Amino acid sequence: MQENILNQLNKVFKIKGQVKSPLRIKVVADKDIVSSILLYLKAQMGFIHLNHISCVDWIEDNKFELVYIVWHPEQKQTVLVHTFIDRENPVMENIDTIWDQANTYEREMREMFGIEFPGLVGDREFILEDWQEMPPMRRDFDTKRYAQETYETRPGRENARNVRLEIMKRSGEELPDFAKKYSRD
Amino acid sequence: MIEKETTLYLGPQHPGITGNMMIKLKVKGDVVTQAETHVGYLHRAFEKLIERRNWLQSFTLLCRFCVPEPDPMELTYARAVEQIEGREVPPRAKYIRTIVAELARIQSFLLWYGGQSGSSGLYTLGQWSVGDRNYILDLFEDLTGARIYHMYMWPGGVRRDLPTGWIDKTYKTMDYLEKRLEDYNKLLFENAIFQKRAQGVGIIPKDKAIEWGVVGPPLRGTGIKHDVRIDEPYEAYADLDFEVPTYEGGDVWARALVRRDEIKQSIRIIRQALDKMPSGSYYNRIPNPMKWTVPTGEAWIKTESVRGEIGFYVVSDGSSKPRRVHLKGAAYTHGVSVLEKILPGQNIADVSFILNSLGVCPPEIER
Repeated sequence: MQENILNQLNKVFKIKGQVKSPLRIKVVADKDIVSSILLYLKAQMGFIHLNHISCVDWIEDNKFELVYIVWHPEQKQTVLVHTFIDRENPVMENIDTIWDQANTYEREMREMFGIEFPGLVGDREFILEDWQEMPPMRRDFDTKRYAQETYETRPGRENARNVRLEIMKRSGEELPDFAKKYSRD
Repeated sequence: MIEKETTLYLGPQHPGITGNMMIKLKVKGDVVTQAETHVGYLHRAFEKLIERRNWLQSFTLLCRFCVPEPDPMELTYARAVEQIEGREVPPRAKYIRTIVAELARIQSFLLWYGGQSGSSGLYTLGQWSVGDRNYILDLFEDLTGARIYHMYMWPGGVRRDLPTGWIDKTYKTMDYLEKRLEDYNKLLFENAIFQKRAQGVGIIPKDKAIEWGVVGPPLRGTGIKHDVRIDEPYEAYADLDFEVPTYEGGDVWARALVRRDEIKQSIRIIRQALDKMPSGSYYNRIPNPMKWTVPTGEAWIKTESVRGEIGFYVVSDGSSKPRRVHLKGAAYTHGVSVLEKILPGQNIADVSFILNSLGVCPPEIER
């Protein structure tokens, strides 16, 4: 069954996929034909359920990897369609005309990774309101710096005193060295 | 019919769900004409923070993705890491995990009973079911040391073995719960108010359900038999005998009936798993967690949670920290696109009611 799916995709789109496990098929495709593959999978091959759209930031290669996961309700097969887009100018075709719920994923990716989807219905923000900084799920977004600049330090905690030592002094008990006690080495 | 359209903001705090989520409704009189989901009140950047933690530290964040049911998150992530790494899980651990997953299912259903009855004004049942839920939390406390967030199912197995006497205590709790289900039935399903409120409300069409991304009890409430435990059996489910209840109609009533029957099936699964509990090791020990690296790879793992199928897309770049951990919860589609489609035409008073029956969990949408 998995071979049939791969052969059919190869015949129509000239792409090679691989069988990852008995219920998983992985396909890597060029970004221009991804929406055609997804439409074909849905309309012609019965993969009518969109499971997930994920994005991985490969900052070393200057690429974003987009993963579209679709599922076939009768054959119980899952196809993962991978594609890579440029990280500097991230634009990807909008697929919310194929599946309505893709709109939610794309709005989230626009905010979190800064990927543009031309023609995406709904300009409204999804999670982050009035966000001015770099899209936060990018690897180079510095969470610590942002937190330090945005939020105030709680008073009374600047000097990083050792609380354990203080407890020991007051109670007179000796506290065990936890790191040593539970170490496996 | 009133022709003037008004905007009504439902939320962020309202009785429909556990968590904060706002629904912007356009209403004519008390009939909804348009609905728009607004989230953003609970974004805690867990997926970002996980990228800065090692594979084991992630568990403290993972279980907080969805408050009413943390266990499926741990289980799915642990299975994803195991698949990337190729780590074997001992049979005893598989059975213990199955029992914990089903106990988590029952406790979440009991919490749902409270929400569903509360949103229709029947507060008594909520008091009872949340009280009974504590007996399951007691079992969790004995087993894992914690009541809600357990961090118990780790890559390679479970963190501790079953304590002495735990199996007997679980049998007793199951017997007690089975008797209580009769009372719940009388109080909710034989109640004329609930029947009138639930029947024919919030209908999901059967022919569109899969395409819309509906999963779990809402999907089974339209008569489609889909359950990850059957389609892609994990842990010990392949060895155990259970049924997947389905009902026709696709309304709140059908979804409630599915959930009622699923508690019975969960009790059945737990009893079988306790009967068949294999002996042996419960944990295939991982190396020192601070130095532990997972080989390069990716995994897409699905689990049947209470609200439906949840999945984790996990990517490893061969380092000691995950490259990407991305959750797809059932609420991600149920709470946004599905809800926006089924609310028009409904009554304002039914909005919370429908939200609860879809099992929407806002922290899971934003993460």
